[in-house]
Amino acid sequence: MGKPNDLVQGTLDLLILKTIALEPKHGWAIAKRIQQTSRDVLQVQQGSLYPALHRLEQKAWIKAKWKETETGRQAKFYSLTAVGRAQLEKESANWSRLSAAINLVVETT
Amino acid sequence: MLWIRRLWLRLQTLFQRNRSTQRLNDEVQFHLDQQIAENLAAGMSLEQARHAAMRVFGNPTYLKEETRDTWRWTWLEQISQDVRYAGRTLSKSPGFTVVAIVTLALGIGANTAMFSVVRGVVLAPLPYFQPDRLVMLLESNKRFSRDAISYPNFVDWQRSARSFDQMAAIMLHQGFDLSAPGSPEHLDGVEVTAGFFSTLGLAPGLGREFSPQEDQRGGSPVVIISNRLWRNRFAASPQALGHSLILSGTDYIIVGVLPAGFRFLDEADLYLPLGQYNPLLLEARGSHAGMVAVARLRPGVSVAQAQSEMSAIQDHLDQLYPDADRGTGADVEPLKQIIVQDVRGTLLLLLGAVGLVLLIMCANVANLCLARSASREREFAVRAALGATRARVVRQLLTESLLLSLAGGALGILLAFWSLRLLLAAIPGNVPRSENIGVNAEVLWFSFGVSLAVAILFGLSPALNSYKPDVQASLKESGRGSAGAQHRAQSTLLVVQTALTLVLLVGAGLLLRTIRSLWETNPGFDPQNLITFRVGLSPSTPKTGPGIRASYLQLLDRIRVIPGVQVADFTELVPLTDNDADAPFWIDSQKPAEIQNAPRTLVFTTGTDYLRTMGIPLLRGRFFTPEDTTKTPFVTVIDNVFAEEYFPGQNPVGQSITFGWDTPVGPCKIVGVVGHVSHWGVGESDRRTRAQSYFSLRQDPDKWVPLNYPDTKILVRTPLDVATIMPAIKSAVYAGGSAQPVYDVKTMPQIVAESMSSQRFPMMLLATFATLALVLASVGTYGVVAYSVSRRVGEIGIRIALGATKPDVFRMVIGNGLRLACTGLAIGIAVALVLARLLSSFAQLLYGVRANDPLTLFAVSAVLVGVAALASYVPARRATRVDPMVSLRYE
Repeated sequence: MGKPNDLVQGTLDLLILKTIALEPKHGWAIAKRIQQTSRDVLQVQQGSLYPALHRLEQKAWIKAKWKETETGRQAKFYSLTAVGRAQLEKESANWSRLSAAINLVVETT
Repeated sequence: MLWIRRLWLRLQTLFQRNRSTQRLNDEVQFHLDQQIAENLAAGMSLEQARHAAMRVFGNPTYLKEETRDTWRWTWLEQISQDVRYAGRTLSKSPGFTVVAIVTLALGIGANTAMFSVVRGVVLAPLPYFQPDRLVMLLESNKRFSRDAISYPNFVDWQRSARSFDQMAAIMLHQGFDLSAPGSPEHLDGVEVTAGFFSTLGLAPGLGREFSPQEDQRGGSPVVIISNRLWRNRFAASPQALGHSLILSGTDYIIVGVLPAGFRFLDEADLYLPLGQYNPLLLEARGSHAGMVAVARLRPGVSVAQAQSEMSAIQDHLDQLYPDADRGTGADVEPLKQIIVQDVRGTLLLLLGAVGLVLLIMCANVANLCLARSASREREFAVRAALGATRARVVRQLLTESLLLSLAGGALGILLAFWSLRLLLAAIPGNVPRSENIGVNAEVLWFSFGVSLAVAILFGLSPALNSYKPDVQASLKESGRGSAGAQHRAQSTLLVVQTALTLVLLVGAGLLLRTIRSLWETNPGFDPQNLITFRVGLSPSTPKTGPGIRASYLQLLDRIRVIPGVQVADFTELVPLTDNDADAPFWIDSQKPAEIQNAPRTLVFTTGTDYLRTMGIPLLRGRFFTPEDTTKTPFVTVIDNVFAEEYFPGQNPVGQSITFGWDTPVGPCKIVGVVGHVSHWGVGESDRRTRAQSYFSLRQDPDKWVPLNYPDTKILVRTPLDVATIMPAIKSAVYAGGSAQPVYDVKTMPQIVAESMSSQRFPMMLLATFATLALVLASVGTYGVVAYSVSRRVGEIGIRIALGATKPDVFRMVIGNGLRLACTGLAIGIAVALVLARLLSSFAQLLYGVRANDPLTLFAVSAVLVGVAALASYVPARRATRVDPMVSLRYE
């Protein structure tokens, strides 16, 4: 994949939803996690991350809460809502179907 | 539910904007700090860590903006920004702001006031139940397409008609003398049939309607009173029911009190059963004595269907009663149409005129805005350079216009409120439903709508002009900008203003000349020093014909000996008071087969001293004397118009005519010819009866005296003014027995002025609008010329340096102003001539002057040119004082 900014908006949403599916995280942690899990391929810039987070929050797919981190600072933790969880499954299924289809086309000579 | 949660989130971002912004800052700061911490852990120094973090981070401001954009309501934020900015810039130029707001207030206020009038009189529905189902029933005949009805016809209609749920009749313009309880007073009243109020869809607030038994001859004397009378005389006590009033000597028991504010056509304090009215009139099938019928259409029946049914019914009656009803038809029309028809044309005309004023005012403010936006070119260039889109700048300017407009509108509503009080005092009595005029929700919405429209009208052009794509040129020091295009726009607006002002001035001028012509026309009698009033009958007077006659003649004798009274007499009809008193007649005994076809004459039934009292010249023969009584042969006097029309070339004295009243009176021998008097307005229109004749009150048969004499008006010629002479007259009246109200006191000049009210009222309004327009146009001319001079200072400097003299420069500037004015004049004259042909309702108001009168056009043009010259004078003077050295250096 090229620069992370080329990510389509919908794909970034999927990444975010998946990342916080297990436990709530703040923005910095989400970016770090995506970077780690993708082995440094996907580096989400703040310029796309925060608008995406706030947009998802407005859609009520994720909810936010200010909590203390381990270091004692206040940070905004995001977690999935029930609707968000359902949306995550739908998006995952879509992504699988889409990427499988693309793979088929690209690999057929 | 999801949408609730989403709505809640959106509302949060709206109402907790500051807190959300703060939180966003914290969140972003936290991210940044984490990045710095990571860099520090990787081994960088604090400075390096921070720099590296910032570099990766990008532009925090941009990030925050992008994020905030995902919150909704940014449009609201932008609007509030615009409003605050507009407020700041406007308060920085207070001169412009104040002038603009005041101008807007005048225009919007005038429009609001005029709209209140039109709404109250023409647009608002009548205050009855389902008023669009109510119709008025009238008779139509050869004389009038709408005539009063007769009682026998009404009864037959009520019995046969199927198109209506209910029908009722009302006899208007009755008067009664109340003697008890309380002080004697003359009150207006009407007579109604049972079921009148339920036809209109309401019931008396207290008590009940008349029953059918009361609504007939011999029924018990009962009365329904108005709310106002109830509060005045009975202190709003429920015990009023069952009390009695003494009206014209008879006890009437109160059976009902009407709700507050009720009126049908005119206001009345007393409602009596019509069935108990004078039988002589109730039985006359051919009489047209002021009775009309009102009915409620059955559901599903249209006016046209009702009309055809009534026409058929009346046709049948025509055949049954040919003497009275031959050629009579029935006329069914919606109630509201009949009430407002006469004034609708005039009011809409005035609304159009005030709309013109609004346009002129918009042009003025647009000019002001154009001038102002020219000086702000640099500001807009800077904003464009910083990334503002055209839409944003235009929106900003429109917000300014809107702010001005709403402020002007609010002030205008206040002005309208106050001016309505003045207006209501000046409104002539014949404007119906004037009680309905006032500022209410509809009017406020109208005002608001007008403010919005006006803001767009005057704000759009400067706003669109302000955004120049060529930013560089504007930012240069010597930015001359688009003086040319702007000047053209301003000049166009000024020309339009001048044209509209001319149209208004011509309108006002024509009406002014009309009124002057009317005043100068000789009405045929001498209205100076003449007072008229009416006297109620004393309850102690015997109710017989001879008894009433004697008491009136004695009253006249008493009045005549009052010091200061030159002559006095009584008459049933006073000229220029628009009462309908003409009758058919025929010469000698040649009674025509159909009375409807007989010629008609206006009959003045008067006393014997009438000519001297009114100052009417006697041309031939003699007038009435006390020797003409009920026992001597009938005599009559005719006027010269009558003589020329029906006795051309002969001496009419000695011939006889017979008056075709319900009971024909005649033959009456003509004993004299007198001068003609104006009756239907000083400038009489041709369609009304002009032949006039006179009948002596002393010859009125006994049985008619009780009906006719109380209707008479007393005329007194005296050099003293009303306040001085009335106490003496009142004592003369009371000497014949107290409890006789003296009312309707008027001077003849007052009556003459009131007869012109249909011209005076629009004239006053048009004159006001025209003056407003003239002031606006002159301010506009001054503004445009002054502005063009200030822009052309450099050019003027060069001209002077090249040898132009001061008079040359002066002439150049004044020529500029005059040229604009003359273009506007030419357009205005063309428009005025076109309107003169199209607006027939205006042309009908004129008298003694044509709608396209050249003298008026010329005079008004001269005024406008003069004003334009004056307005250009000061800027011209300033232009001559330009020092070329200074101006060239400044450039």
